[in-house]
Amino acid sequence: MSPDVWAWIASTPVRTWVVDSPYVWPTLESIHFASLCVLMGSLLVVDLRLIGLYRQPCAPTVRFLIRLAVAAFAVNLVTGLLFFLGNTYKYVDNAAFELKLVLIAIAGLNALLYKRSLSHIVESDEVSLSSIGVGCLSLLLWSGVIVCGRMITFYAP
Amino acid sequence: MSMLADLEATALSEWLSISMLGFPTLIALHSVGMAVVVGLSLIVALRLNGLVAGIDGQLVARLLTIAAWGFVLNFLTGLALFITRGTDYIASGIFLIKMLLVIVSAIILFWLRERLKPVDSTSRALVADRLSKNLSLVAATTWFAAVVAGRLIAYLSDLYR
Repeated sequence: MSPDVWAWIASTPVRTWVVDSPYVWPTLESIHFASLCVLMGSLLVVDLRLIGLYRQPCAPTVRFLIRLAVAAFAVNLVTGLLFFLGNTYKYVDNAAFELKLVLIAIAGLNALLYKRSLSHIVESDEVSLSSIGVGCLSLLLWSGVIVCGRMITFYAP
Repeated sequence: MSMLADLEATALSEWLSISMLGFPTLIALHSVGMAVVVGLSLIVALRLNGLVAGIDGQLVARLLTIAAWGFVLNFLTGLALFITRGTDYIASGIFLIKMLLVIVSAIILFWLRERLKPVDSTSRALVADRLSKNLSLVAATTWFAAVVAGRLIAYLSDLYR
């Protein structure tokens, strides 16, 4: 995108709200961190079932935990968007931020793959090669998202 | 205090402070460990208090063990981060509050792990008394408070200015 777009984004009133108060940014960061814990905790239980660490029919539990993970992700999407609007130039051309977005996109596709063709597996006590693959990939991708997120500061221009 | 200064002067501490592989890697691993231990402690607290169903006693014990490994990762990475700036950390009030919260949370985590260990490998039922249920909620709260306190170290101390 052109520098004009970033300049326009960086000039919105949201930027002033996020950056000018000494309290808003630290509060948003605290919410972002707490919410990523909820996301990781929920996904761990689901992914460990797909990997086969435990094998039992648990479809309602998995559905609840996925809803919890999606809610936590939504909170992080909103707080993340506010970071971007508040300090746009910290994120533009930042390799760690770009990689984080790519990993989130792949994790989203991985979750869609589960929803389309693997969600039946948690109604039984089975695991399959695909479910092990999806579970492992999910854990690796989300750990990578956290690592890249933490690296953004070190790659900021 | 002089011991902390001595630690800061070691070659390991200096490498951790200046290397791009040192400090950022430690802090990134610290974040992953945080997500594991805090996230799973919350799920276990929700399970013990009836807000999540379908996780049996065997699985609760395993989740607590994984959470404990997340804590070990964070203990080690936290210790490595600490030796780089020990004298500054120890002088920061918000860091000491975080440590207090982590100690309380970790004691409850390891206590719950012992308390909720299945009596034999065939038993799947979850047997949790009132104390375990209440303490799991205390730990979930103190873990999240520790996360917030940890983040606030960047703002309420002079460590990263």
